[in-house]
Amino acid sequence: MSGVLDLRPLAPAAILAITGVAVLLAQAFTPKGRPAPSAALSLAGLAGALGSVWLLARGARGANTGGSVVADDFSLFFHALLLAIGILVVLLSPSYLRATGIDRGEYYALLLFSIVGMLGLVSCLDLVSIFVALEIMSIALYGMAGMHRARIESQESAFKYFLTGAFSSAFFLYGVALVYGVTGSTGLERISRSLGALSPESSTVAVLGAGFLVVGFGFKVASVPFHMWAPDVYEGAPTTVTALMSAGVKAAAFGALLRVFLHGLPSLAGEWKPLLAVLAILTMIGGNLGALAQTNIKRMLAWSSVAHAGYLLTALVAAPATATEAVLFYLVAYAAVNLGGFGALAALARGGREPLSLSDVAGLADRRPALAAALTVFLISLTGVPVSAGFVGKFYLFTAAVSGGWVVLAVVGGLMSAVSAYYYLRVVVQMYMREPLADDDWGRVTPGSALALAVSVAVVLGLGVYPAPVLALARRAAMALL
Amino acid sequence: MSWLDGRLLSALVFLPVAGAVFLALTRRESVGLQRTIGLAVSAGVFVLSLALLPGFRATAEMQFVEQRAWIPAYGISYHVGVDGLSLWLVILTTFLTPLCLLGSWTSIETRVREFGVLMLLLEAGMVGVFVALDLFLFYVFWEAMLIPMYFLIGIWGHERRIYAAVKFFLYTFAGSVLMLVAFIVLYRAAGRRTFDIETLAAAPVAPELQVWLFAACALAFAIKVPMWPFHTWLPDAHVEAPTAGSVILAGVLLKMGGYGFLRLAMPLFPDAALRFAPLIGLLAVVGIVYGALVSLVQPDLKKLVAYSSVSHLGFVMLGIAALSTTSVVGAVYQMLNHGISTGALFFLVGMLYDRRHTRSISEFGGLKTVMPWYAAVFLLICLSSIAVPGFNGFVGEFLILIGSWRFDPRLVVVATLGVVLAAGYVLWMVKRVLYGEVTNPKNASLPDLTPREHAVLLPLAGLALFMGVASPLFTRSIEPAANRLVRHVQEKARANRPRTAAAPVPASLASDVAPSGAVVPPVPPAPPEVPR
Repeated sequence: MSGVLDLRPLAPAAILAITGVAVLLAQAFTPKGRPAPSAALSLAGLAGALGSVWLLARGARGANTGGSVVADDFSLFFHALLLAIGILVVLLSPSYLRATGIDRGEYYALLLFSIVGMLGLVSCLDLVSIFVALEIMSIALYGMAGMHRARIESQESAFKYFLTGAFSSAFFLYGVALVYGVTGSTGLERISRSLGALSPESSTVAVLGAGFLVVGFGFKVASVPFHMWAPDVYEGAPTTVTALMSAGVKAAAFGALLRVFLHGLPSLAGEWKPLLAVLAILTMIGGNLGALAQTNIKRMLAWSSVAHAGYLLTALVAAPATATEAVLFYLVAYAAVNLGGFGALAALARGGREPLSLSDVAGLADRRPALAAALTVFLISLTGVPVSAGFVGKFYLFTAAVSGGWVVLAVVGGLMSAVSAYYYLRVVVQMYMREPLADDDWGRVTPGSALALAVSVAVVLGLGVYPAPVLALARRAAMALL
Repeated sequence: MSWLDGRLLSALVFLPVAGAVFLALTRRESVGLQRTIGLAVSAGVFVLSLALLPGFRATAEMQFVEQRAWIPAYGISYHVGVDGLSLWLVILTTFLTPLCLLGSWTSIETRVREFGVLMLLLEAGMVGVFVALDLFLFYVFWEAMLIPMYFLIGIWGHERRIYAAVKFFLYTFAGSVLMLVAFIVLYRAAGRRTFDIETLAAAPVAPELQVWLFAACALAFAIKVPMWPFHTWLPDAHVEAPTAGSVILAGVLLKMGGYGFLRLAMPLFPDAALRFAPLIGLLAVVGIVYGALVSLVQPDLKKLVAYSSVSHLGFVMLGIAALSTTSVVGAVYQMLNHGISTGALFFLVGMLYDRRHTRSISEFGGLKTVMPWYAAVFLLICLSSIAVPGFNGFVGEFLILIGSWRFDPRLVVVATLGVVLAAGYVLWMVKRVLYGEVTNPKNASLPDLTPREHAVLLPLAGLALFMGVASPLFTRSIEPAANRLVRHVQEKARANRPRTAAAPVPASLASDVAPSGAVVPPVPPAPPEVPR
């Protein structure tokens, strides 16, 4: 194969991109009055991509495309996670889109394109291609956030996301430029090598570059103080899009962050570790205090997603392998929980309405015992109470933080988890301990949504009881970064 | 037999879980079936737990041990076993759960299925806490148990149930998270790559670090006990919970605090335990007197019983702080006694509430003539609660007071005052509820105990008497484990006393860059101890 560009690592993304185009075409060629098979096509594409990931894992592990895209264990782990997230979002989407009147084919095409970007984020080895992937993902998401054109909040969400996204891209690019200026390369491998042998004066510039990259990623993972867009965007976007943002974008952004910092900038660890630790503390405190004040469940989950970015950041002070392993495990747990949480809200949507305020879910346990139980499992996992994936995940994160010598991160994380119990439990109180205010006119849960929620519950409880297999996979993925 | 021995404890933990799953699958309407399943499963678990007794040897080591790899990457295993400290607490749990289900037969009318599921899950969590021999496993059970209890209070409780449920959850959860951090720090600092309690107890830990770790664990346990001044969640939770919830709270959950000290905090951090012992003893005695004084002025029956728990658990904590074999045996025994007598008292108060829908002492009077059986059992349980000789409470308190004398005679003197006060508030309550004329016409025709209520109360009353006269049957199996604990703490603390024997820097902790913000104090490498 020498001399020929190995394109195999691009296969999953290519399959999704082609499917995305097919979804658009199918819509154009479907006779008027008949629904286009967008969701089915998307599912097929995602399943095909997942299959190609499996083939890559069996036959072409470690292959890379011209040194800029790689199919190592790390990318394959994230590929599998992101594609699974995509499948669950597609399962949740049809009923929600119908209920809110935005059932259009572009939605699925944009969804697939955004996942293409996410796949790129976690598998690119070059800062420029990472940036391109970041933009592919973000631009598709801007469109999705504004999908609900009739709702002013949706427009606001898209516009705000776009502005802050552009802002953060600028920071990111500036960081790339500075790092390039010092090292003469945008490839992570070469950056890592030249930073190792750096004179003190140019190292200041490199540190500045790393700082700008932190800011860029800080926006994407919604870490305090770069989080202010998150509540409005999460609230305004269609709920299934919010689910994708909170599960997928966070996973992809953390994947890129891990690769850039642990693989590309390890020699600056002495500088960026304290910086990330401080961000982690601010984010955990800010996110949880913000969530405490919310009465809108979607906004509360948005703030909680900020808080969870903080928990995730705590692990990064540890040795690279420990940190990666903990973050990867937590991302799986967190994706399942958030897809489930937002998914449960979306599944109840009907006639343009969905349960948003606390009183909307009052007495839900009486009418919808299964759904209420599922939502309770997700909330308990977010709090970090056993037996749930969230608990095991937090345990790994805090163990990583302690192993990095930062006990204070674990202490803040633990105390903030206790704070979070208050606002998560508030929803449980409403569902189980209050009488319903009005008649239950929420939508029926479709089989697709039910399947997605059941899978999420199974993952959350399964990982809570027996985390060892996923942990072993995460550990293997972590080794690929070293 | 040996095949079963290695699986018996797992069966006790997972049989209720299986029962809960089965129960969850029943139809909502078949209420009678759900009640029967709940009772049958929990009664089956109780019978199964009795199988521990014939095989249990009165030695100090762990028995019925089962160990399986669980999360090998972190040295976490599913490791369970019982010794004298936990054996009777396990049986107390399996004993009280079916009684609670039987006692709630008619008083729980809504969401019967959910009630049964939660009670069985709660039982699994409680048994799990008592048998876990791995820190991670212990923490999982410790926390998992909060959720069923939270729902029990919040769904079936009285007027202020939501407030009480949330307060209960937040208090105990907030207290526990720091314990988890302490476990993680210990895991790193001990450098043994394991969460196994016995292995960690053998590892040396720097005394300065022990202080922090002990404090974190002690906070979690002190809230659970609850020790004064961490007790403020207790009156709310106990009073607002339904009868079954109060019985389990008082009977089993509170014991977990004392048990946590004995199983984890003391053996893992012996230096710190000895250093903190005077403070714990002092708080315990303050709790004894405070709980008794507050009980004295309660107009509400359930609140009175709740506050009396603060006082009773003060005795337990005094025995634990004194850390002599006698006092520890007394503390464990007193935990069992309190589970039985206070559990029974909550049942009795609940039965009155079922009849009159009030808990106010002033509403009653002269019940002896209306409900003679009820009055007899009530009086008997009260005598057990105030430690009249011949009843179980006497044995426990006596052992604690004797065993604590060498620890601090002043504390013992003040604690004895608590015994007198207890007699005061209980007997005064008995007088106002049972004796005198029937002044309130609503009480004139109250029905006496039903056969079902007899079936709930008689085992408890019988045990209160039996444990009073046949205490050696119980203490004999507790003593070796208590003795081992006391010796372990003293020997390990002595070995550490010359500061030279401090722990060497674990390679795992030293290898990472420790920034200036780190809390873990770097421990200087120590020269080997000079042989005496």
